[in-house]
Amino acid sequence: MNPADDQLNRLFRSAAQGQPETVYTPPYGLETRVMAAWRTGQSSGTGFWDMTLLVRGLILASLIMALSFLPALTSITTSNSTNNPFAEYLQLTDSTIPPDDTP
Amino acid sequence: MTDAEVLECLARGREGDEKAILELFHYMYPHVTKLVQANLPARESAEDLVQQVCIKVMSHLQQFSGKVPFLHWVSRIAVNTCLNQIRHEKRRPEVRLADLSEDEATVVEHLAVSPGELDASDRVASKELVDKLLGTLKPADRLLMRLMYLEGHHLDEIANLTGWNRSLIKVRAFRARAQLRRRYSLLMKESL
Repeated sequence: MNPADDQLNRLFRSAAQGQPETVYTPPYGLETRVMAAWRTGQSSGTGFWDMTLLVRGLILASLIMALSFLPALTSITTSNSTNNPFAEYLQLTDSTIPPDDTP
Repeated sequence: MTDAEVLECLARGREGDEKAILELFHYMYPHVTKLVQANLPARESAEDLVQQVCIKVMSHLQQFSGKVPFLHWVSRIAVNTCLNQIRHEKRRPEVRLADLSEDEATVVEHLAVSPGELDASDRVASKELVDKLLGTLKPADRLLMRLMYLEGHHLDEIANLTGWNRSLIKVRAFRARAQLRRRYSLLMKESL
């Protein structure tokens, strides 16, 4: 083993034993703050107004898009249902026949 | 506290039992403190950072799915919070023999001269020396070296605590160790 590696290992072993004893008592007031954070997390449900501004914006934008497409969609469906199913076909055929200009 | 007890506490907490949440807090607090103290950024109070981590954990408690043990989930939050705080620290000072205290320089000499373990009286100085050496590494490498060599965690444990995959840990550990070796060799050369 590289002498530097060996010395580093011994140094780490010694340092690991020299770790100071820590007292794990939460400081005054931390409990209260943590509980308040938990209550905030609890109360933030999935209601519309609890969502982020971006999500709310996206939802509203898609609603507006859907609403603006609605008239176009209804006009297409109504025109299709009221007209003769052969109408479009005949129209197409008419447009392909050149008008007879000969006297 | 076992995983089953943690899940029970969480279930009670979801029903609004504050006592259960307090139990969870007291269970995780030592773990968070230990992690934060080991990865404390300069100019940051451990107490503030512990508080930040605890609040983050508690406000996101609803997102804990129970797929990983609770303490692993908490560790990842603590590690990421510490690393985010350390990230802005660009300064990683070089360690020269002249910068070491008398005790630390003695430790380097002892290591070079005798092949045995260091004396108990050298422990504090060796801890300080290790801190200085680790201070020259990148935050993530520093954390890894601490977990590996000072706290004696295995690869799998580190993967669970940090959320990093095994190959990343191996590569990172190899590079960090090489860097430490280089820095330590320079110290040794100076002391000769």
